[in-house]
Amino acid sequence: MKQLRAALARITGFFTGHRADRDLQDELESHLDMETDEYIRRGMDPADARRKALLSSGGIPQAAEAVRDQRSLPWLESIAADIRYALRTLRHSPAFTAVVVLTLALGIGANTAIFSVVRGVLLKPLPHKDGDRLVYLRQSTDRPGGANVLFSVPEVRDFRNAAPSFSGIAEYSPFSFTLQGKDDAVRMRAGLITGNYFEVMGLAPVLGRLTLPTDDGPGAPPVMVLTHAYWMKRFGGDSSVVGTQVRLDGAPVTVIGVLQPAPFFPDQVDALLNMVVSPHHLSAMMVEGRSHRMTELVARVAEGAGIDKARAEVAAAYARMQSEFKEAYDPGSHYRVEVIPFKDVLGERARLTLWLLMAAAAFVMIISAANVVNLTLMRGVRRAQELVVRAALGAGVSRLRRMLLAENLTLTLLGAGLGVLIAIGGLRLLVSLAARYSPRADEIRLDVVVLGFALGLAIAIALLLSYVASLPKEGSFAAWIAAGMRRMSGSRRKHRLQHGLVVAQIAVSVVLLAGAGLLTRTMIRLSQVDTGLRTEEILTMQVPLMELRSAQDPRADITAKERYERMRQEIRALPGVLEVGVGGTMPLRRSQIRFEVKAEGKSLIVGEAVPTAELRTAGPEYFRAAGVPLVQGREFASTDQAGSGKVVIINQTMADKFFPGEDPVGKRVAWTGEVLKFAPISGEWRTIVGVVGNTQDGGLDATPGPVVFLPFTQMLAVGGGLVIQAESDLSELTGAAIRIVRRIAPAAPIENVLTVAQIKDQSVSPRRLNAVLISSFGLLALIIAAVGIAGVLAFSVSARTNEIGIRMSLGADSGRVQRMVLREGGVLLAMGLVLGVTGAFFAARVIQGLLFGVAPHDPATFIAVAGLMAAIGLGACWIPALRAARIDPAIAMRSE
Amino acid sequence: MADKLDVKQGTLALMILRTLEVLGPLHGYGVARRIEETSKNRLSLNYGTLYPALLKLEQEGCIVAEWRQSENNRRAKYYSLTPAGRKQLAREAREWHQTADLIAAFLAPRREAP
Repeated sequence: MKQLRAALARITGFFTGHRADRDLQDELESHLDMETDEYIRRGMDPADARRKALLSSGGIPQAAEAVRDQRSLPWLESIAADIRYALRTLRHSPAFTAVVVLTLALGIGANTAIFSVVRGVLLKPLPHKDGDRLVYLRQSTDRPGGANVLFSVPEVRDFRNAAPSFSGIAEYSPFSFTLQGKDDAVRMRAGLITGNYFEVMGLAPVLGRLTLPTDDGPGAPPVMVLTHAYWMKRFGGDSSVVGTQVRLDGAPVTVIGVLQPAPFFPDQVDALLNMVVSPHHLSAMMVEGRSHRMTELVARVAEGAGIDKARAEVAAAYARMQSEFKEAYDPGSHYRVEVIPFKDVLGERARLTLWLLMAAAAFVMIISAANVVNLTLMRGVRRAQELVVRAALGAGVSRLRRMLLAENLTLTLLGAGLGVLIAIGGLRLLVSLAARYSPRADEIRLDVVVLGFALGLAIAIALLLSYVASLPKEGSFAAWIAAGMRRMSGSRRKHRLQHGLVVAQIAVSVVLLAGAGLLTRTMIRLSQVDTGLRTEEILTMQVPLMELRSAQDPRADITAKERYERMRQEIRALPGVLEVGVGGTMPLRRSQIRFEVKAEGKSLIVGEAVPTAELRTAGPEYFRAAGVPLVQGREFASTDQAGSGKVVIINQTMADKFFPGEDPVGKRVAWTGEVLKFAPISGEWRTIVGVVGNTQDGGLDATPGPVVFLPFTQMLAVGGGLVIQAESDLSELTGAAIRIVRRIAPAAPIENVLTVAQIKDQSVSPRRLNAVLISSFGLLALIIAAVGIAGVLAFSVSARTNEIGIRMSLGADSGRVQRMVLREGGVLLAMGLVLGVTGAFFAARVIQGLLFGVAPHDPATFIAVAGLMAAIGLGACWIPALRAARIDPAIAMRSE
Repeated sequence: MADKLDVKQGTLALMILRTLEVLGPLHGYGVARRIEETSKNRLSLNYGTLYPALLKLEQEGCIVAEWRQSENNRRAKYYSLTPAGRKQLAREAREWHQTADLIAAFLAPRREAP
């Protein structure tokens, strides 16, 4: 308490010191006067009395200084003085200051921005209570589309009984609803959850309540918890929504609360509901079917239990399940379960990209720091005389060091300040990039830690700059002063350091440019991928009329199909429209429906994974409208009705897989597997009537998998959308088409109204942003490195002016001088290139996972990058070389 | 002059507080005189020792200062004890007694072990 009070008084003293000085002088004077009076009273004459008083005082100025030290914080006072002085010096060399501050701002800005993303998405602790105890369970197989096959209710039950290391396991099943608004309908992404979900996740409500175990089971009333983001977006943060009823797919559901902001996996959702809203989820089919996998699992590791123990328990239980229920775990597909910390799974898609960006930013930092070090070294040489004078006037090494530190700190802090502004400017772009990779993008902030990171960078660079400057050792001061500035300029050690920094700059730039080149080529290759469609000028829109849970009602299915047909015909009648088709899934989009498939007369090789195919539906006009080429056989016809013979069209991959070298038309295939028991589809044989070309539905970088198309009429109309091809401008057509859909189905949501070209562009855009970011880092590096090499050579020339003058007067012509300088630069450039290309070779292997259609050691990219760097580097050497060649020997020799 | 002592760190604050307790509000000169007299001139205080100590006590809230007329009509800055200063004095005095006793016990003539 006493210390605190004293500290506060001293901090106050720091600011009010000037006023207190007057007071102190008065007080010391009065002391002196009183003492003088006393001596006079004892009989001394006034002059002697005054002298004696002064003598015993111990010196008034010294006393004042001691009091001043006590009054305020002496180190702070001297730092303030140093900074005032630094600002004055820097004002005198505005060009140097501007270059250094700008270079640092770019480096620190890039790093601060990227670090804020890395921290928000990968490093920050989860907002969940004890988030480090949360784990995600993932079941996967080797089949196509088998990266995450979810869990079935019986599997969950077995884990619950066999893994005591979990304090709770919660189920979460992705679902979507149509939410009826006052005058519109929107599709809502939702999760169906067990009542213990929020307790396991460690999440709290911001309003109302969350679900409890009492919300489980068929008897509970349907309830909904809104996520924070959706509550803000859809309901404008209106707290009165809690307690009201909304209509989901026509049925009433009560909103019971709003959840705190939190990330979800695999995707953000809008709301969470109890299982009762989907009768299917409580049906015997779902509850008893071991291969009916629709549930994501999150679990909380109990206090005192470790994740390793939990993993072992899960593995043991899973091995038992596999041996007991062989039919649910096809051995050829290699079923497996992983237990992954929730934080890791949230960041898994973003990790490689973000660390790549962080590394690129760090490289830019290295280059800009190297540049600043070089600039400071050169300036240090020019300032040598000033330092000598200061030393001669009595400044010690530590005082000089502190002066330099203050100056460098001022520079780097200015740079950091500007850098943070740059980071703030770039943050929005980065958040949109991160949102493509991570559900945690909205947790990205320029918070205290991030600002501390920027500050730390600034301080570290300032220290570096202050300690590379060579000051003499404490003892050798006199010699240093005597030698004056001559001694300081030609230091061999510093020369080597400067050259080393230039080599490093070039090497790092080459690495960055190579990365940028590879990513740019990846992006170009991706956008050149043939979609498999004849044209990209096709309009698509998804208009889901019926959800899976109303599919039990056959009348709903018939009505939906009639409405699709009416939409199709009316849009077809619009001027300029060439063809309109109806289908379950739009081209270039993945179908979520995938079953095991078999062909008549074909048996599996032992140990081969059971093949699966995507199920898609299409009307007779779909292929023509979408521009999907027919390779063999016929398209669907209007005669392929619900009651007529079951037919299918398969894609090329499917044909190649099952009928290599044969004509598949006329052969028969069927859906198969345990899952059919739970799906609204039969396993009867279906005759192949046609083969269509492959399309890039699983993404531009994915090999197309097997697809089986069913006639739209022979399958429930779940999902559903329209494909429109026209000779007129699509953007003009869109409005008219939407008006028709609205009129026919006023309550249906209309989603993803996009042309095929736009869908394609969407799938390339995260990579493009990635490539653009790395390329701009590369370009930045290139510019800084070019400035660096030119600067160091120019300095070297000016330091050797005298030598060059002598050479020229001894007969060296200007060409020879020019070559000499170029050689100096060329050696640095060559060393940098060799180092850089080697480094890039290793770096490319690390980012292999982000590349497509280009080898990590793509020779064209490497040659182009090395050539570019060499050209720019030589160009940068030329300027100082020319200057050296123009040196007039007469003037040069007089310059000393 | 030769037998004059330097003021030990930490003891000066105690002396100042005690002086103010005994004599009431007093200026820096008065405090210095009193301490020198009490020490029978074995201690001498120069300004550079006395005034930082006074300021430190003021910063800690043990004393407060105020400009006043002195008895012989000079303006002087008078220091007086605050309640916190009184408490501080009592505590430090107690600690000094304890320390002094302890040191005295240590320095007492050694008795032979039986």
